[in-house]
Amino acid sequence: MYEAVRAHPEGQSTVARLAKLAADYGYEGVVVRNHSSARADYDAGGIADEYGIDVVRGVEIRADDPEQASGSVGNFRPSHTILALEGGTNALNRFAVEQAKVDVLAGPMAGGGDVNHVLVKAAVENGVRIEFDLSGVLRASGGRRVRAIQSLRKLEEIADYYDAPYVVSADPHSHLELRAPRELRALGEEVGLSSDFIEDGLAEWGRLAERNRCIDSESFIEPGVERGRYEEES
Amino acid sequence: MKHLPKHLQPRWRYLALELEGWPDAEIDRRAFQRECWYAGQNLLGDPGSAAADLTVVRFDFEDGIGSAIVRVRRGETEPARAAIACIDEIDGDAIGIRVRGISGTIRAGEENYLGRRRQESKERNVVFRNEERVAVVRDGSADVRLDDAFVGATDLDCSFA
Repeated sequence: MYEAVRAHPEGQSTVARLAKLAADYGYEGVVVRNHSSARADYDAGGIADEYGIDVVRGVEIRADDPEQASGSVGNFRPSHTILALEGGTNALNRFAVEQAKVDVLAGPMAGGGDVNHVLVKAAVENGVRIEFDLSGVLRASGGRRVRAIQSLRKLEEIADYYDAPYVVSADPHSHLELRAPRELRALGEEVGLSSDFIEDGLAEWGRLAERNRCIDSESFIEPGVERGRYEEES
Repeated sequence: MKHLPKHLQPRWRYLALELEGWPDAEIDRRAFQRECWYAGQNLLGDPGSAAADLTVVRFDFEDGIGSAIVRVRRGETEPARAAIACIDEIDGDAIGIRVRGISGTIRAGEENYLGRRRQESKERNVVFRNEERVAVVRDGSADVRLDDAFVGATDLDCSFA
């Protein structure tokens, strides 16, 4: 299972600190998903070796409109393993699910955003993962929390019907906001997402990272075609 | 009143919790108990929190690190775990919380899950992001004091002056 974290300078803990605690909590990896305007500076390989946890280089694009988002996708896609796009308006949600270069549509229900069957079908077609953000359940209270739970349930009903790909994250901004997988599973059960659903969503980050690394590797030519090891011609 | 015969006494489970905060966090038992009950009530509702109980029976918090044992009715441990995961700050201090384990007696919980952490923290001068700072260092982790807040880092991020 993987967790997607926001590191210093966007959050309050460095990638190393988050990775250290995540390894202790039983995660297999962390995805650094800082916004493109506040990218972290870290040595993924060194941290991975020190704490025995996979560190995935990711980025989350924040844009005002689809045109700006489109430019950023082109800029950041080659250098990052996981590319997420922050939704939250209908136009951006729609742009994200129709763009196969985007891996994850983050926070689609935040702000004034909404998701319907059309968007979810497009997400299935383009393989865009829809994010279930548990931060509203973990760290909000009162009416905001009620709305967060409502939107998670709505999203779950639609995503389940179309069998859409999804990821789950608690969106921690510091090592104190990190929660262990078991806690998140228990929380999922309370808000109407099954514990298997949560586990699968956390694991999906890892599968996504593995797939993208495979595509980025030099031996990859196109789906199903790879450069293998052949005997040298004498 | 005479205590209940043993077969009528409630079966308790004890959640052993590990707490963590910034080095300047000050949390007392009363505040932690209040947050536990609030979290239970907010997530599980009145019937759910009555069923879970969530009484703090042991509490210790010092220098930004601590542990606690919370009593839960048997069979309600997963809802209680979910409620406790939702505690994110106490009296304005951000707090990290984790269930280390569940046991049938307080003593077993303390011995099996809470024994190990008593590493002393030390204030050290470190260089973080090319600037000299003061950090509270413990067990490979370092909470670096910036001008108005802390940054969680490890010895990989800092060089010790």
